[in-house]
Amino acid sequence: MFQALARDICLYIRLIAMQVKAQLQYKVDLALDVLTSFLVTALEFATLLIYFVPFPTLLGWKVGEVALLGAVVSIGFGLAELFGGGIDNFEVIIRQGDFDRILLRPVTALMQVSTTQFRLRRFGRITQGLSAFGLALFFLRDAHLVWTPLKILVLCLGILSSALIFVSVLLLGATVCFWTVETTELTNILTYGGREMLSYPLTIYHQFMQRLFVFIVPLAFGTYIPVCYVLERALPFALPNWLAFSSPLIALLFALIALAFWRFGVHRYQSTGS
Amino acid sequence: MLRFYVEVARTAYRRQLIYRWANLAGLCTNVFFCLILSSVLIALYQARPTVGSYNLRDILSYSWATQAMIMVVLPFGWIDLMLTIRTGEVVTDLSKPCDFFCYWCSRELGRAFYFLLFRGLPTYLIGLLIFHVELGAGWSVWPAFLLSLTLGTVTGVVFRILMNLAAFWIIEARSIVGFGLTTAHFFAGSYLPLVFFPPWLATLAAWLPFTGMMNGPAEVFLGKLSGPTLLREILLQLAWILALIVIVRLLTKIATRRVVVQGG
Repeated sequence: MFQALARDICLYIRLIAMQVKAQLQYKVDLALDVLTSFLVTALEFATLLIYFVPFPTLLGWKVGEVALLGAVVSIGFGLAELFGGGIDNFEVIIRQGDFDRILLRPVTALMQVSTTQFRLRRFGRITQGLSAFGLALFFLRDAHLVWTPLKILVLCLGILSSALIFVSVLLLGATVCFWTVETTELTNILTYGGREMLSYPLTIYHQFMQRLFVFIVPLAFGTYIPVCYVLERALPFALPNWLAFSSPLIALLFALIALAFWRFGVHRYQSTGS
Repeated sequence: MLRFYVEVARTAYRRQLIYRWANLAGLCTNVFFCLILSSVLIALYQARPTVGSYNLRDILSYSWATQAMIMVVLPFGWIDLMLTIRTGEVVTDLSKPCDFFCYWCSRELGRAFYFLLFRGLPTYLIGLLIFHVELGAGWSVWPAFLLSLTLGTVTGVVFRILMNLAAFWIIEARSIVGFGLTTAHFFAGSYLPLVFFPPWLATLAAWLPFTGMMNGPAEVFLGKLSGPTLLREILLQLAWILALIVIVRLLTKIATRRVVVQGG
C-alpha cells in the first residue's frame, strides 16, 4: 500500500513538474502574469486598509488585526487556487468530453484532474498574502501581541486547513458538474465570496452566514478561528479555545465528505457523447 | 450609416437576451458581494456617523448603485475584442465597410443597455428592498444622472477597447486587461466608496479617467453634485471620452498597419 502511495506521489510531482516546465518556456509572459496577479490582489488588500483611514475600528478590530485576517485568507486561498486549479477548471474537461479519456487511464481520475492546471501565476496571490502578513505584523507592532510557538502552530495549521477546505469546496463544485455540466454560481459564491467574506471579522455578518462558514462549510476554522486564537479574542459562538487546534481534523473530515461525493459522482457519470 | 450602428447595438442586445440563467446567476453574485460590502460598511459606521457628507444610508445607496453599474460600465474579464485578435477574426471586422471602433462601441453599448435593464435595475431593486437605499435624490437628479451614466458607460466601453488593443502587441494580453479593469474598478468606486480615500489618493483618482465611470454617476444620483460641480463632472467625463477615443483611434491605426493575417 505504501508502495502505491509513494508511486502516486512520484507521479503527482512529475505531472506538476511538467506543467511548471511548460510555463517556464514563456518567461516574460509568466513574469507579467505573476506581477499582474500580485497587483490585482494587492489592490483588494489596499481596499481593506483604506477602510481604516476614516474609521478607527471595525467592530473593535483594529487595522493590523483585520490585515492579519486578510493575509491568512489570501495565503490559504492562493494555495487552494494553485493546487486546485485543475479541479476548478473541471467544467471544461466535462464539456469537451475529456473525462472519458481520463477514465480510461490506469491512474485515479482525481489525480489526473487536479494536475491539469498548475498555474504559477497563482504565486502572485500567495506573495501578496505573505507581504500582507508582514504588513499586518508592522501594524500590530504596538499591540503587545505575544507570539508563542503554539500560536504559530495554530496559524500554520489554520492556513493549510483553509487551503484544504477551499479545495474541497472546489471539488464539491466540480462534482456538481457531472449533472449540471457547468460550474454553478453557488460554487463561486462559496469560494470567491467566502474568501471576500472571511477577510473581515465573522461577527459583522448575519447569524446565518456565521453559522454557514463555521458549521457547514467550516472555512472559518482555517481562518477566523486561528486568527482569533492568535489575537487572544473569544471564538465565535462561545466555542472553547482549544478548538482552534482542531482545524486540521475538521478540514480533513470536510475533505473526506467532498471526496466521497466526488466518488459517487464519478460512478454516476454518463458521457455527454459529443 | 447611423442606422447600421443602431442595428449592431440592437443585435448585441438581442444576443444577450438568450443568456437568462447566466444573467440570473450573475445577479446572485452581484447581490452576494454587495451584501458582504454592506455588512462591512454597517459595521464600520458603528465607529462614526458620517464620512464627508455621507451617512450610512448614503454610503449603502452608493455601494448598491456602483454594484448595479458594474456590468453596464465595466464587466470583469471583458476580452471579446482580444479574442478576435488572437483568432485572427479581427481581420474580417477590419475589412468590413464600417468603422472598426464604432462597430465595437455600438456593440458594447447594446450590451450595456441589456445589462442596465436586466442586471443593474434588479440589483438596485434588491438593495432597495433590503436596505431601503435612496431612490434618487428627488426627480430633478434623474436627467443629469442618465446623462452622466451614459457618459460613464461610453468611457468604460472606450477604455475596455483600449485595453483589449494590447493584444495586437502581446498575444496573451488577458492579464494586462485584467489588471487594467481592476485598476479602473478600484478608482471608479466599485471596490469601496471614493470618499474613504485619503487625500493624496483622492487627488490621484481625480486625475484619472476612472472616477467618471461609476463614482461620478453615483454621486449625481445621490444629489451630491449640483450646479457648477455637476457641470464640472459632466465636462470632465466628456473630456476623458474624447481623449480616450483619440488614443484608441491612434493605436488602431498603428496596429492595423502591422496586422499580418496568420493563415489557417
